[in-house]
Amino acid sequence: MLVSDWIRSEGLSPALRQAFKGPHRDAYLRAYDRLHGAGYGAGILSDFTSAAPRTANYAGPDQAIALAADASRIAIKAGPKVAAAYLTLSPNMALKLGDADRFCQWRDMVATVLKSNPKAVLELLERAEMLLDRLGLEALGAWIQTGLRQAEQDKDKALAFFKLETPEAQLLLERYAGDESFPALVTGLKYFYTALWRDLPVLREAAIEGPNGRVRRTSFSSGIIQMPTAFSGFRGQEQQLYRASIVHVGAHITYGAARFELGQIKPLQVAVVSLIEDARVETLALRDMPGLIRLWLPFHTAQTDGLATAQNLFAGLARALIDPGFRPTHGWICKGAKMFRDCGARLDDPSISRHIGNILGNDLGQTRVQFDAMSYVVQPAYRDDNLGLWNLPIDPETPPHSEELETDLNDTRQSKADGSSHDRKQEQQDPETPDPAESVKLVAADPDAGRKVASLPEYDHHAGIERSDWVSVNAYQPALGDPEFWDKLQERHDATISRIKTVIVASETGKRRRLKQQAEGEMLDLDAAINASIALRSNRQPDPRVYECITPPNRSIAVHLLLDISQSTADPAGAGINVLDMERDASAILASTMSQLGDDLAITAFSSSGRNDVRVIPVKTFDDPLGEVTGMALSGLRPGFSTRIGAALRFAAGSMGGLSRYRKLVLLVTDGEPSDVDVSDAEYLVEDARRAVQQMRAHGIDAICVALGPDAGQRQTEIFGRKSCVQISDIATLPNKLSAFYLRMTR
Amino acid sequence: MTLDTYRLAEEPKYYPSADEVALYTAAYDLRLPVMLKGPTGCGKTRFVEHMAWKLGKPLITVACHEDMTASDFVGRYLLGPEGTYWQDGPLTLAVRHGGICYLDEIVEARQDTTVIIHALTDDRRILPLEKKGELVKAHPDFQLVISYNPGYQSVLKDLKESTKQRFCAMDFDYPIPSIEAGIVASEAGLNRADAERLTKIAGKSRNLRGKGLDEGASTRMLIHAGRLMSAGLSIDAACKFALITPITDDPEMRSTLTAAVDACI
Repeated sequence: MLVSDWIRSEGLSPALRQAFKGPHRDAYLRAYDRLHGAGYGAGILSDFTSAAPRTANYAGPDQAIALAADASRIAIKAGPKVAAAYLTLSPNMALKLGDADRFCQWRDMVATVLKSNPKAVLELLERAEMLLDRLGLEALGAWIQTGLRQAEQDKDKALAFFKLETPEAQLLLERYAGDESFPALVTGLKYFYTALWRDLPVLREAAIEGPNGRVRRTSFSSGIIQMPTAFSGFRGQEQQLYRASIVHVGAHITYGAARFELGQIKPLQVAVVSLIEDARVETLALRDMPGLIRLWLPFHTAQTDGLATAQNLFAGLARALIDPGFRPTHGWICKGAKMFRDCGARLDDPSISRHIGNILGNDLGQTRVQFDAMSYVVQPAYRDDNLGLWNLPIDPETPPHSEELETDLNDTRQSKADGSSHDRKQEQQDPETPDPAESVKLVAADPDAGRKVASLPEYDHHAGIERSDWVSVNAYQPALGDPEFWDKLQERHDATISRIKTVIVASETGKRRRLKQQAEGEMLDLDAAINASIALRSNRQPDPRVYECITPPNRSIAVHLLLDISQSTADPAGAGINVLDMERDASAILASTMSQLGDDLAITAFSSSGRNDVRVIPVKTFDDPLGEVTGMALSGLRPGFSTRIGAALRFAAGSMGGLSRYRKLVLLVTDGEPSDVDVSDAEYLVEDARRAVQQMRAHGIDAICVALGPDAGQRQTEIFGRKSCVQISDIATLPNKLSAFYLRMTR
Repeated sequence: MTLDTYRLAEEPKYYPSADEVALYTAAYDLRLPVMLKGPTGCGKTRFVEHMAWKLGKPLITVACHEDMTASDFVGRYLLGPEGTYWQDGPLTLAVRHGGICYLDEIVEARQDTTVIIHALTDDRRILPLEKKGELVKAHPDFQLVISYNPGYQSVLKDLKESTKQRFCAMDFDYPIPSIEAGIVASEAGLNRADAERLTKIAGKSRNLRGKGLDEGASTRMLIHAGRLMSAGLSIDAACKFALITPITDDPEMRSTLTAAVDACI
């Protein structure tokens, strides 16, 4: 006898009868039978019996019945325990999600995780409610996609992501949570700080949790301000809070003096002295900008009647010192406020902070108020952690000095997120790493030492989102090759070069245009003159522009040439030469063509080895002259790694942002479709590159592509569009065709 | 023909920041051409007007623009009912009849256009009118003054070296806060405290020069805001209307400037 027959004969529980009616009841019983027959144990069956009716109430009977099949799949791949957890969670998720469609999306998400990393399912389920509360369904989907994508190859990494153990998972959680977080506000914050205090120190993002799991506050030290990725608990006030915080730090930097010596004073006194110093610099700032009080005061929420804990007393004192309307009752706060007021005339002197702080710290130490330095967090939230005020002996929190100061802000976001400070280590080992934006140096640089120069976004067409700071671009110094490159090029391509010269001369003269109806010029424009005469005779105002002239050609164009040097360019392209050799010659000829035309040119060779290492080699920047070094750098290029086109395009476009030219062009020479070691989905990189091209065009930068080889072209056409893509099947003709193509494109 | 219509009837108010009046007077005595450099709205034009009034000379101002041609400076043949006739341009007028010719924002005009002033600005002091076949000798009172703003123009626009080297030059900048507050107070009829607030706000926006803004708020803008306040607008409304909205279209920057204004009041 089937179990369902037995149930039918025994009768269903009232809840089940209520939830599943008519055909749904049969479907439910069939699902029950299958689950029973699979033999995962009684636990799963009872979980299903209990979860199904409640899920059905919120998400409909179809979804509830589908849970059985889900549970079965999960049990097979991840074990019955996980399946049980899934079933137990389902009613709550259904309640939160509210309808069948959304619940179905949630089930799909679980299925996706199950498919790519069964172990991670349990971790996801354990945190699913919290994640859903924070993120909402759509952002949860994006967060899951990102997690899977991030650790495509690395199952342990994915596991850690879903356990929320990686800083990146936390960071993304904050970002997707929709609270306005640091990355969204950073531009405005920089503006704001500069407006108020003029010289902006380096501004960096720090993880939300500080050491010992404490909530992180803004921190400043040695010319660097670090702000937490997000302040939790201030939804809707994020911008105000960040502004309040950065202005507070600005006040420290503007009105503060040398760091206080720590000496022998106790942590309690350190906290009180810092608090007084906070109030001192704020008061000075308020004298200059009284409106700041409206920025700071909303975060002072201390009340007069709180318990006399250290935290409350500190918050009360902080408020009493800057809020004239606050009437504290506690004697300690009143004393502090009075001492501070009495020093009103001497506020310029930082030593008063130390003086008042010491006295107040002593007073508090003699009471029974407990102060736990380990768990103390500065209040209100906008104030900094005060580490910048003190000369601390060895401080793990002190941000690194010197060489890192100059590095781009984006640099350390990654390393902070990694927590391992990988980049920092690298820089400390090699502080002399030259700036890749500078010209090619003649020193024999170690070509293996890359240096991070940019973090770029990437577009995931599955999730429909653009992940910021997803791709790291590392610049590598060019290996210097043959110093006689140019001479040999001339020998190899003598005919081509001289032909192109002729074309240039012709195109120069062909560009002259006759301009009619000009205010001045070499000759009369007869048509305009006659019109003017007619106007005069009919007593109308004549148009005085009756001349014509011929314009000199006026080129204003900048080109960033991107050379694909992935491993496939090592393929032979003729007798004894490979694809890269051809690319090299072609770009050299193009470069000399362009320098004759006076066009600006940069050449960057690129390859990639996963999203964390998009490798660019600056062969020639816009500022470098075209010369022997360019030739040596070109001849030093060696094939290797993969092709991440989107990232390369974004990098090239970024380098042209500041140029003021009439036309800006990124010209990509590649022999294959996008691919990379950490991406299995062929469409992913194509779609990303397509998006990069669209974004560049929106910013007025054209992207065109030269696809090499008889099989190339299909993918490139999808990315660049038919008009902006040319396929060269006989690679040997590349040097010849590239310059001609260029002349045509830029006419 | 005289240049009476170009004479200034009333004294244009000018508040000197340093010794610019003495420098200019010395240059005029020798009829040396003068170049005024400085950001927009800091008082260059007002200074020239003031000096023209002080020296009692007519002032012909030409606002230069990209489409400016040599004819727009020197003049051109026009077709009249009786045939063609010659119409002097503003520069020729000043050269012929003795006035101060002020070419405002000269880099806006094309470089090849501006070379026509070369013969006027060395010891020859002549203006050849090629089309008319005439060589105009400069009137003894004639002086050429040009202004330009080295800041915001793109690198594409600059004066030719040969043009630059003909001029004495003065740097103009926004006046120091105490003087600027005085200017705003008196030009806008505003009380001193409010004028100081406006000056402080302008200082904040000038901190952003080149770091998000092409230029900070000019003295001219402050006077506009001050006038609006005298007419009854609140300071934040006046700043939004006369400073923030005109100066930038970037929402982030507007929000920043609004917050900066709020911090100062």
